[in-house]
Amino acid sequence: MANCSICSKQAIYVIKSGGLALCKKHFLEYFDRKVRRTIRKNKLFRKNEHIVIAVSGGKDSLSLLHYTVNLSKRARMGWRITALTIDEGISGYRDYTIKRVEELSSSLGVELKIASFKDYFGYTLDEVVKISGERGLPYLPCTYCGVFRRYLLNRVAREISGTVLATAHHLDDVVQTYLINIFNNNWSNIHKLTPSLTSIHKLFVRRVKPFYEVLEKETTLYAILNGLYPSERTECPYAPLSFRWQVRRVLNYLEESRPGLKYSTMKSLMEATSLKNVASSEAMTCIVCGEPSSHEVCKACQLRAELGLLELREVKT
Amino acid sequence: MAEETSGIKVKVREFGSGVKEVSLKNRVSVGELVKSLGYIIEEYVVAVSGTIVTEDYLINDGDEVVLYPVVSGG
Ligand SMILES: [Zn+2]
Ligand SMILES: [Zn+2]
Repeated sequence: MANCSICSKQAIYVIKSGGLALCKKHFLEYFDRKVRRTIRKNKLFRKNEHIVIAVSGGKDSLSLLHYTVNLSKRARMGWRITALTIDEGISGYRDYTIKRVEELSSSLGVELKIASFKDYFGYTLDEVVKISGERGLPYLPCTYCGVFRRYLLNRVAREISGTVLATAHHLDDVVQTYLINIFNNNWSNIHKLTPSLTSIHKLFVRRVKPFYEVLEKETTLYAILNGLYPSERTECPYAPLSFRWQVRRVLNYLEESRPGLKYSTMKSLMEATSLKNVASSEAMTCIVCGEPSSHEVCKACQLRAELGLLELREVKT
Repeated sequence: MAEETSGIKVKVREFGSGVKEVSLKNRVSVGELVKSLGYIIEEYVVAVSGTIVTEDYLINDGDEVVLYPVVSGG
């Protein structure tokens, strides 16, 4: 039974690559130090910032909301914090998770904004998936979900006057995305995988990842220790269909046989992104909806057009 | 690591799923138990009788093991 390397109490976590065991108290300190370092090093939050936190209701985003609100009390930087939840319209999934977000934000005393696909696009994700199937389009549900969610997060964060948008992407997410983009030879996406992403486009809300250097196992522990781990298992029913799901499994197998592999992959990513420091992405304006985009027509409008869901009156001239 | 005993039984509950009884010939570690169920230890946080343990924890007869999946969609 491992004991804490610092105080020799019973350990709850072992950092295999670093040969360190930590008790509950020292794990939470380690977690806090690591996240604060990411925030400081990359200047994620400035003074008097209106931080909008994207909260899906899963353990990671609930942990981010909980962590940031607590940090805000200690840091006294004049932050305002709003939780933002996107309701994609996935039956039997979102109903539970939205309830969780409502409970946590009210117990933490932060504002909550819910924005739905239905309200902004006219269709729920379930409806989009059905139409996509009927039209024989080649996209997985996660493509629509990811594109539409990112689009709405930026747009709604801006509409509620947020100055920065924080997402709960952790080291595992970042490394998975890195690998997927290597497989697809998509370097413009790799350059966006930084702890803080800005654009010269004035409609783009700066996007930050405070958990960039934290393993998913560590956010899980943080969630359990703070009573944030969801009591019923509600994963997105579409998730196991995604390629990401397979990449995640492979990475976890590899990490087991070679502890520290995820960290070294992250270092590889940092080296790759430092080669080109200015993100030239999202600098254009979508000719359809007027939102920031990396192409003439943004990805969300392109998908909607292929689905036949874009109405001509929406086209800005 | 395992010592000979007459065999032990543990209850294993995967969070959000059902409980299963697992019989073991010997005392094994949490890491070995998770592996024997066909899982990857990287993908679970494990608690025994309400306390989170590390993977070298040796299972006792009658222990209640809870597996918290690290991997979840969303
Ligand atoms: Zn300690
Ligand atoms: Zn557009």
